[in-house]
Amino acid sequence: MNQFVDECRREWKRLRVPDAVADEMAADLAADLKEAESEGASGEEVLGGGASDPRSFAASWAAERGVIPPRLTARLPRRSLMLAAIAALTITAAIGAALVIFASPDASAPTTAIRLSPPAPYPTNVSFDKDGPARAALATREAELAHAHAVLLAQLPGPALVQANGGIVLRLPQAHGPGVEIHTVGSILLIVGIAGVILSVLFLFWSSSRRVDTARS
Amino acid sequence: MQRMASSEGRRSQLLRGALDLCLLAVVVEGPAYGYEMTKRLRARGLSIVGEGSIYPLLGRLEREGLVDTYRAPSNGGPPRKYYRASRKGQRALAAGVSEWRAARDAVDAVLGLVEAEVQP
Repeated sequence: MNQFVDECRREWKRLRVPDAVADEMAADLAADLKEAESEGASGEEVLGGGASDPRSFAASWAAERGVIPPRLTARLPRRSLMLAAIAALTITAAIGAALVIFASPDASAPTTAIRLSPPAPYPTNVSFDKDGPARAALATREAELAHAHAVLLAQLPGPALVQANGGIVLRLPQAHGPGVEIHTVGSILLIVGIAGVILSVLFLFWSSSRRVDTARS
Repeated sequence: MQRMASSEGRRSQLLRGALDLCLLAVVVEGPAYGYEMTKRLRARGLSIVGEGSIYPLLGRLEREGLVDTYRAPSNGGPPRKYYRASRKGQRALAAGVSEWRAARDAVDAVLGLVEAEVQP
């Protein structure tokens, strides 16, 4: 009989029933069981069908008395919380993957932007002497235009699609910021996101199967 | 065997719907603690062996204000929690008994005919 009361106390503690209430219920139960025992009555005559399952008996009694404190997880469906967590982790992984791909050393090479300079218009009224001043002026003009494009592209904040020379080219900032390795940050986000999604999905399946088993039993 | 199990299940369901009224009726007679109520029910032929426990029901009655409680020493034992019907509980008992009788009469009106045909 004492074992039954002890099991009930453990269940009340697990359910966070206030100690004063749990003490009162345990004392009443122990006194009733003791009296029944002294009269030769079985525990089932006191407890009814609850005699075979102390945890359910204790939980049912506490719930009916309204002494189980509400919890956040009880107010929000656990499944909804898990789905929200999976969505957040998926977004994290996607951001990480984007950073890893776009901030890789090849993609961020500055040559990509510098090659966008359009061909300088050739003057029509110059003759192409081998060492003439017109050729020198043309070369200077080409260099100036290329430099101007490079400066313009370098001033764009963050990744951007740039239209030039009849095509669209992806322009990326430098992968190595001051003190921050974007590639490393992306890798971390990707790993954390993928691992979190996998663990969340596994937990979701495990809790679903457990709920089905509980319902069957 | 299956017929017996079905009969027990029906008895459980019927008792489940009326056990709270029975507890209220018992404490209207006079204050009682948990096991004392069980003994009063048993003295009238109502055993809860194999049925739901009275303690969760008492908890619900207390939460809904249908019973008042107080602690008092029992006969030679430790102080016990006594239950007695509140005014609200007395009104709920009266309403519940009316509902029970109406339901019982309606069921009797149907099942009484069946009994007359089975027993020539």
